[in-house]
Formats: sequence, C-alpha cells, structure tokens
Amino acid sequence: MNRRWIIVIVVLFTLPLFVNGQQRIPARQTTVSQSQIPKGSTNENWSSYGGTGLDWRYSSLNQINTSNVKALLPAWIFQSGDYQDALQSTPIVIDGIMYLSSPHSYVFALDAATGKLLWQYKHEPLPGYSPPFGLKSYGVAVSDGKVFIGTYDDFIVALDQKTGHEVWKVAAEDPTTCRCSISSAPLLVKDKVVIGSSGSRGFVAAFNVKTGHMDWRFFTVPAAGEPGNETWSGDMWKRGGVNPWVTGSYDSELNLVYWGMGDPSPTFYGGSRPGTNLYGDSVVAIDADTGKLCWYHQEIPHDTWDYDSNWEPVLMDREVDGQMRKLMVHINKSGYTWVLDRTNGTLVNIYQDNKNITWVKQITPKGEFIGRHDVLEGQEPWLVCPSNLGGKSWNHTAYSPRTTFLYVPLIEVCNEIVVRRRIEGMPNFGGAIWVMKSPPGHESAYSHIDAINPVTGKLQWTYQYKYIFLASMLATGGDLLFTGDPEGEFFALDARTGRKLWSYQNGAGHRGSPVTYMVKGRQYVAMPTGWGTVTGEIVGVLWPESEKWRSGSSLVVFALPKESK
Amino acid sequence: MIRVAIKSLFILVLSVPAVVHAQLVPPPEQAIKTGGEVFVQTCTQSYCHGANGGAGGAPRLAGRGFNAAYIEKVVTFGIKGTPMPAWGQKLSEPELKSVIAYVESLNGIAPGTKAVPPPVLTGEAAHGRDLFFDPTEAARCSNCHRIEEKGISVAPLGKIPPDSRSLRGLETSHTVTATVRGKTFPAIVNSQAANEVKLYDLITFPPVLRTLTQSDVTLEDGSSWKHSSVLGAYTDAELDSMLEFLRATKVP
Repeated sequence: MNRRWIIVIVVLFTLPLFVNGQQRIPARQTTVSQSQIPKGSTNENWSSYGGTGLDWRYSSLNQINTSNVKALLPAWIFQSGDYQDALQSTPIVIDGIMYLSSPHSYVFALDAATGKLLWQYKHEPLPGYSPPFGLKSYGVAVSDGKVFIGTYDDFIVALDQKTGHEVWKVAAEDPTTCRCSISSAPLLVKDKVVIGSSGSRGFVAAFNVKTGHMDWRFFTVPAAGEPGNETWSGDMWKRGGVNPWVTGSYDSELNLVYWGMGDPSPTFYGGSRPGTNLYGDSVVAIDADTGKLCWYHQEIPHDTWDYDSNWEPVLMDREVDGQMRKLMVHINKSGYTWVLDRTNGTLVNIYQDNKNITWVKQITPKGEFIGRHDVLEGQEPWLVCPSNLGGKSWNHTAYSPRTTFLYVPLIEVCNEIVVRRRIEGMPNFGGAIWVMKSPPGHESAYSHIDAINPVTGKLQWTYQYKYIFLASMLATGGDLLFTGDPEGEFFALDARTGRKLWSYQNGAGHRGSPVTYMVKGRQYVAMPTGWGTVTGEIVGVLWPESEKWRSGSSLVVFALPKESK
Repeated sequence: MIRVAIKSLFILVLSVPAVVHAQLVPPPEQAIKTGGEVFVQTCTQSYCHGANGGAGGAPRLAGRGFNAAYIEKVVTFGIKGTPMPAWGQKLSEPELKSVIAYVESLNGIAPGTKAVPPPVLTGEAAHGRDLFFDPTEAARCSNCHRIEEKGISVAPLGKIPPDSRSLRGLETSHTVTATVRGKTFPAIVNSQAANEVKLYDLITFPPVLRTLTQSDVTLEDGSSWKHSSVLGAYTDAELDSMLEFLRATKVP
C-alpha cells in the first residue's frame, strides 16, 4: 500500500480519539482476560446479588438467544402481596429454589420452575421506628444453609434455608436513634455476611454467618482522631451521612471488598461542612478479614450536588496499553465513569457518560476538574445536570465478556436547586429545595441505554427512550440484553447492535433487577415488577402521563415454550 | 450580590416584628403564615411533601379532609413505620403550633393551638439523655435498653443504681450462662416455647438474638457478665448523667 494512503487511514482511525478536544485513552480494542470469564459469569444458579462478586450481571446461559427470543412467554408469576414501594430486588436462585425479598423485608422461597411458595418470612419491625427513605429491599444472600436479609429497620437476619425460621438476628446500632436502614442486599465474603447501613453516619459491617457476631465495622466517616477526620469541620462528622446504600463487590484473589460511598450530609448544603468530606463520594477497598481500609479513591471532593458514588464497582480484567490490568469500572451519579486499578486505587481513566452535564465543564482523564460549578447558598436557582437522581440511578449495569461491552442505563434529567441552610434537628438530606427539569434545549427529559467500551467509554450503540429507565440490565451468553421500562414493557435487545428483538407487557412498571437461571435443562428469565417509591413519584412531575405507570409487586418469570427449545 | 444583601435585609426587617409576635400569642392568620414558612423549611424538604401541601415524595396534605385531632397527632408524634417524623421533638412549641395551624388551614380547619409537645428535660438529665442515645458511642445504652419508645429491648431496665460505680459492677439478674454444642457464653433469655429458646448471646457487642432448639441448649442461672464490659468508653460523670436521665424519666 502507498505510504500516503497509510497515513490517511491512520489519521481517519485516530479522529475519534479526540472528542470535544479531549484526548482519550487510545481506543484500540482492549482484550478481555479469558481466565476471568468463568469467575464473573453465572450458569444454572444466580447465587449472588451482582451474579458473582465481580458484579457483571452476566449469565453464560444461551438457550434463550437472539434467534429464538421472540418465542419467550411467561412461565409463572409470583405476587409478594406488599405493593407499597415496588419490587426492586434481585432474586437469588440456587439449585432450583428462588429466594426473593420484598419491600417490607419479607423473604419468600419459591420453586424456581413453578413459582410454588415453599416458605415465607415476614419481618416484624422494631416498634417506634420510621425508615427515613421508605420501605425497600434490593435482595438477599444465601450461604451456610442460611438466607440473609438486611431489613429496612437495620437488622441483619439469618433464616434457615430449608424452613425460613429465624436462626439469628442482630442490629449493629439502635435503629430508632441512628435512624439507620438497610436497603441493599448483603454481600457474602468467606465466612462473613457484609452489609451497608445508612443513617446519620453510614457504616459497612461484617457478621459471622454462623453466630451473627459482628466481626468488623468500617465507618464511612472517620471519627475524631482517625485519618480523614480533618476533612470535616468540628462535629459535622457525627452526622456526616456518606451512606453505603448499594451492595459492593468482592475480589477473592485480592481479598478486598469494594464499596461505593454516598454523598456527605447535609446534602447540597456544603457551607456547614468545609473540607473534602472523606469518604464521601469515594470508592473504598476494605480488607475482607479485618475491615481495615486498604485504599480509597475520592471521585468528587466536597459534593454539593447529591452525586452519590454508591453504584456497583464492576471488577474486570482487561488489557490497557498492551498490559492486562485488574480494573474497577465505577460510574457514579455525576455523569462520569472512573476506571481504577483495583489493586491499589490508582486512576486509569475517567470518561463522560451523560450528554447533559452542567456542574462541571470537564473532568480530565487525570482527574482534574475544569469549570466546577458548586451549588451555593444565596445563588439564583440554576439548572444542575445531571439531577440528584443521577446521570445513572442505582439500577445496575451489565457487562458481557462476549461482546466486551458495558451496558449502562443513563438518565438525562436536570434539577433546579435552591440551597437552604440546615435547621438544627431537621432531616439531614434537606439542604435544598429542588425541582426536576428537562435538560437545556430539550422539550423533555429522556434516557438511553449505552453499550460502551468500559475502559475508554467509546460508544458502540445507544438505545434511546422518551421516559426513564430505572430497572437493571441483564446480559446473557445468548447475546441478549434484558431490562424493563416504567410503562410495563419488559424487553430484550440484541447485545451487539441494540436492536429490540422482543417485548412483553408485564402490567406494571419496572424498578427491579432481572436475572436468568436454569432448572432441569430449561432456562428462565425473572423480572420483578411494580412502579413506585419516592423516586417514582418525583420523576412523575416531568411527565403528566406517568400517572399511568402502575405500581405492584409481582415477579414475572419467562421461558421458551417447551417445544421451542 | 449587593442587591441580594439589600433584599435580604428588607425581608429581615419586615420579618422581625412578625417573628416576635408569633412567639407571644399568634393571631390565627399570623400562625398560618408562620406555619407556611416553617412548612417550606421542613415538610417540603427534598423527598417529602410538595409545595403548598401538594404531593411530593410524601403524600398530598391539602384538601384531604383531615380533622384537627389527627393533624395534631401526626405532626407531633409522626407515623410509626413511615418516614413521617415526630416534629414535637424537633420544632419549638410556637413553630409546632404554627405548622399544625397551617396544615389545618389546608384542610379547611380554623387554626387550633392544642398540641402539647413531649416534656423537655434540662440540665444533667438532658445531657444524660443525649449520651444514652448518642450514635457515636461505641456501645450505646439504647442498643440494649428501651425507653421513651426508642431503643432495642434486650434487657428491661431494672432498679436504677445510685451511682456510676455501682452501675459498672452491676451483675444483672437477667443474665444466664448458656451452653450450646459445647460452647458456654453469657446470655439473656428472650422467650421459651415448647421446643425453642430465643436468647441474646452477649459474647460480643452488639448482642445477637439467637433461636435455638431446646435440646441444643442448657441454661444455668447467673453469669460472669458485668456492665463494665460495655461501659469502658464512658467517664463516671457521663454515667452519672445518664443515671440522672433515667431517674428523671421515672423508670421503675
């Protein structure tokens, strides 16, 4: 080939490296570690909240695939009976039995092939307790012959896996005064069950699976005398929030537990807490045996926008610049994703996810904030994008090692915010009054699922939607991507192209996390349904027609008709 | 910036007589106005009620047909099992009365001033209450004792010891020594049924409520457990304040 042509081709292929004048990490195809694939994938069982401890939400099952998904039909339906706050959990399936939790911290064991109820546990709440963020449960964990749930009134309860009878129950704190609450699913780490508790000062705690004894506790805000306490002023650390309200992930080889930290309190009103406010908006790596902090990376120092860094730390081994690296891909609410070396927390890359961002002009791949615009007291109201729902909410991403893409549900919604000084004794999240708004130049808010290169952020395809995606993603070995929308449509996209292949009207909106599993050679896909929660109501102001998005609390489970397999 | 400051000054000057007046005997229309201001700063914050009593994260309050007694009860004491807090413990009495008046006005009721907030403790007893429920203490009392409808009732409060020294040495009459599959530990029995024992395991803090089969457990009266094992972080003066709190609230 002529040398001049080679130069032209090289230039053409290099152009996408420069987006908005910002040089990204070279977009050459990164390679996935083949040896990591079995550790991150599920098969017959869906035994952990994020599929496995690596949080991929990917199943290698491929009986249901792009060629036959059109034939998918409901196999059974289970109704939990508590419709107050939507079914938001991730079902756990082990050896043909499903373990499902519902908003009132109820737990159900079901025959995963038929939906038949085997046992149920109805948690009795502590008298006098009012959960600050409503009733919700994102799921359970199963190990050592027990089913574990963190309850909305902050207890960890261990149930007998066969009978549902209580084995042990413990609260790390008095929930009536710390106003603590557990909504996230527990994470199993060797002989410990680890939970994140939210309240006046968050913590991550580990309990022995056999006895319930608390083995360690990591406070998300350092106490007086501890390193990091100097990033708070006065006694503000005592009510610093930084709530770890979404389940973390676990690397068994490094023996590290990773957890995303919420924003510092009071939310929005930063005037009363000068400093960077550790470990607010950070991701932390904790020694699984001792609970000691190994490293942390603060993504947003001194948050004034409610940009929780709570979302799932996705652990993947991929090639970067010719070297296989142990990475953590971590998106937060701010519209950006942080890629870290998960052995030591060093920064590998930062890239932009959302299209509408006004709180900062740019965050460089090296972590420099250019044109940061804080929410301050005395300001005229201004449009903060993304909103405090986040450029992505808690509903999870999925990562397919087959396509090599990360699938990210993104929300293009903004806030108009007026800061108010905290009133002594008032709830700590009340630092401002805010109103949901459409992004600048748009008639309406909207959302999209993006398939991206998780290291560089390079977009492969996007699937746009006129409302809001608040349900999790599920990727499969059949090259399908499953999720649901608020209007009740549960659907499958071609994971390689983003083309919609199948859809089913479930009768209620979706806020939960789909899973897939196999019983006696038949693959099932389970999707929790039910619109609602405070978030569901808040986004309603953006779309009057949201009144039609129905609540409920049913699990709808799909399979191919037996003759179509 | 200067314009904002001048504007704020105007609002401040105009508000001062109103606020002073509200703290004396608020006329009905003033109570509603003040109540509306308190409402904006409290009830409409973030995830809760909407502006003017409309729906937000929490339900609509305007035009719901609530009666005065219900509004007073809910605003003062909150609703158990929901995010609605007990404002009687958080607002000053004039603020509480005015916000009740405001919510009443949203439901077509003339303002009333009937709310009675829970008693307020002062001095050492108040300090003792703060310590008793302090979430930053490593082992706080309300993890095991329930009072004022707060806390976990692991052990009922008994006779209040006269001073911190006797509290540290207190061998509670509730504890037993449990042996489960060869392992012995101090415990408090929570309940016993035909074939089941529920007991609090006191080996570690916080205590764990364990459910055991009768045949797996043997119980003996008394144990080696003492209050001093969980009171290490407190000074004698702090313990005395907490005892003063318990005496002030007339625990039996």
